[in-house]
Amino acid sequence: MKNLFGLVISIILGVIIILALSNSASFPKFGEVDLADRVSDQYLDQANIDDVGSANIVTAVVVGYRGFDTLGEVTVLLISALGVALILGGSGKQKRLDLKFKPNFMLRVGSKVLFVIILMTSLYIILHGHLTPGGGFPGGAIIASAILLMYLADDQFRSNIKGFKILEGTAGSLFVIIGLLGLLFANYFLQNFIPVGTVGSLLSAGIIPIIYVLIGLKVGSEISGIVDNFLTEEELI
Amino acid sequence: MSAILLIAIPLLAAFLSIMLKKFAPYLLLGVGVFNVVLLFLIPEGFVILGGFNQPLGINLLLDTYSKIALMLVNAVVVVIAFVNIKEYSKFSSILLIAIAGLNGLILTNDLFNLYVFLEISAIAAYLISTSNKKPVKTFHYIIIGAVGSSLFLFGVVILYAMFGTLNMVDLIQKIQLTNNYSQLILPFLLMFIGLGVEVKLLPFNSWVKGVLGESNTLSGPMIASAYAAAFGFVLGRLITNLFLFEGSLLTVVTVILAVGIVMGDLMAFASNKAREILLYSSVAQAAIVAMLFVNGIVIWAVYLIVANALSKLVMFLVVNKAVKDVGSDEVNKLQGLFSKNVIVGLAFTLVTLSVMGLPLLVGFTLKLRYLTELASLNQIWLIAVILVASLIEGIYFVKLLLKLWYEGQEKVEVKYNVTFKVVFVIIAIALLTFGTYSTPLNNLDDSIDTITEVVNNG
Repeated sequence: MKNLFGLVISIILGVIIILALSNSASFPKFGEVDLADRVSDQYLDQANIDDVGSANIVTAVVVGYRGFDTLGEVTVLLISALGVALILGGSGKQKRLDLKFKPNFMLRVGSKVLFVIILMTSLYIILHGHLTPGGGFPGGAIIASAILLMYLADDQFRSNIKGFKILEGTAGSLFVIIGLLGLLFANYFLQNFIPVGTVGSLLSAGIIPIIYVLIGLKVGSEISGIVDNFLTEEELI
Repeated sequence: MSAILLIAIPLLAAFLSIMLKKFAPYLLLGVGVFNVVLLFLIPEGFVILGGFNQPLGINLLLDTYSKIALMLVNAVVVVIAFVNIKEYSKFSSILLIAIAGLNGLILTNDLFNLYVFLEISAIAAYLISTSNKKPVKTFHYIIIGAVGSSLFLFGVVILYAMFGTLNMVDLIQKIQLTNNYSQLILPFLLMFIGLGVEVKLLPFNSWVKGVLGESNTLSGPMIASAYAAAFGFVLGRLITNLFLFEGSLLTVVTVILAVGIVMGDLMAFASNKAREILLYSSVAQAAIVAMLFVNGIVIWAVYLIVANALSKLVMFLVVNKAVKDVGSDEVNKLQGLFSKNVIVGLAFTLVTLSVMGLPLLVGFTLKLRYLTELASLNQIWLIAVILVASLIEGIYFVKLLLKLWYEGQEKVEVKYNVTFKVVFVIIAIALLTFGTYSTPLNNLDDSIDTITEVVNNG
């Protein structure tokens, strides 16, 4: 009965929202937006692209214009990881969960080869974040997927959690410090203070690639830490 | 010196604290004190981030309104951190992030950025509530909180689709040009409900009982005082500047809030548990604050938030410490709590009387002033609602005080250490001082919130 009531309420709410939006003159139809007076138009402005220096406009928005939001999102991930560690990580020694099968030689060696390839891919995606689709967040998630592969393919594998914590903290701190350097050397927090270079070359876009590398490392180590938290349990004595 | 340091330094300290676990509590205290000192040094005005002017980039706004909010929230968090530093040192990193999140929430002038900080501080709040050791209640809070912030985000998305900007000042200017308010009801209502979850407005506050009703000396004051104040200020800013509650929407919102005031006080009246009485009283107070903002009485709402935050800080600390030592929060089990702790008892009594609005205390001045303002707006039935609620409030608080002062059959042994007592006495004296000498309160008026001014003058 409770579920039925909830369903009815959700449907009514959905219908109200659809009706309200489809009858609203202020809410433009899909594809019929007049870009001229919108902020998004300025993001596509050539002068602004040259100013930020990122060939990938999404990156220009995410790390350039709205870099402060990205610092916030990085913090969201940090506090989520802290939460997982707080709830799942006990105070005692942790041991990893057993696999249901015994991994054979081929699986272990093969996964190590794959591990390296996945890591290379993630580095490529992180380093080219200002040029092609990708960047720190997806790159970091790929690093973590490589760690997850190792956990699943090798029953002896245990990542170095202390090292991850240090990497995570250092990368996060450096992100804020780069922002503060902007305040110091330029005028504003997170402002670019090194040469922008030519749009489209690997060494361009000022601080954006540096920030993306830091984000990649931080996201990678953080999600790997979460993976470890989920795949370990407190050792019973 | 820039206001961004209020967010950047706590964040930096949070990242460092993961590596330096041992020093995390000291980092927390250091950063808290640093923030409070910094607030006296930084100039008011817009803070540009990344070197992009609005509306291209994100910016922050520090005006008198946000300054009062920041002073209050940072000071309250420092006090809470200080009294809990030994017992809950594990939560230092989380409290650092909570400081950054709440400061960002108050400072930001960008709606999506507001959502990001809403998320940060809400997740921090969920984690703080895990210190209650009631996982199911925390889970309930997470679910309701997540639905609330999604609704807020949905409202922001609709506004962005309509006007193509996220900057608050820019958005308000564009809204003024359209002159078609009826189409904005949906996004405003969604955002109001989203924030209403965190502000504890009825009927979106079902998490409150589970979280505050089981709270301890960390989670109780954090959520009932620091978080309530910060979210109150944010809701106030949005109601005053962005939301246009008019016509039937205004009636709906007013009725919801009025019901919230009376229901909150009635539920407190019906309860026999000390923590529940306090939490339902703060539910009613939150509704009164929102009601004042809706009626455009900004400054008295601000003072009311400040007074509530300080009062709830004392009340939750006193009660949660007692509950922890006694092991029960039934009022009958706490009988005679103050007969051995006279100083704590006196401070608690003064604070409670101030919340009730008795003369000589600041609560009375506030109540008198906002009721007068409501009267000049001809909101007679609102005044009646608030007076009836005050009457109920008076009865249950006096009942609570009598029980706590007069000894029952069982002896209650609770020891408050010196830090607790100092905090209680200072706050009680402050409430008494501003109650008897209220002239400084008149120095500020409704124009402390400068967004409207900026919107009109460019």
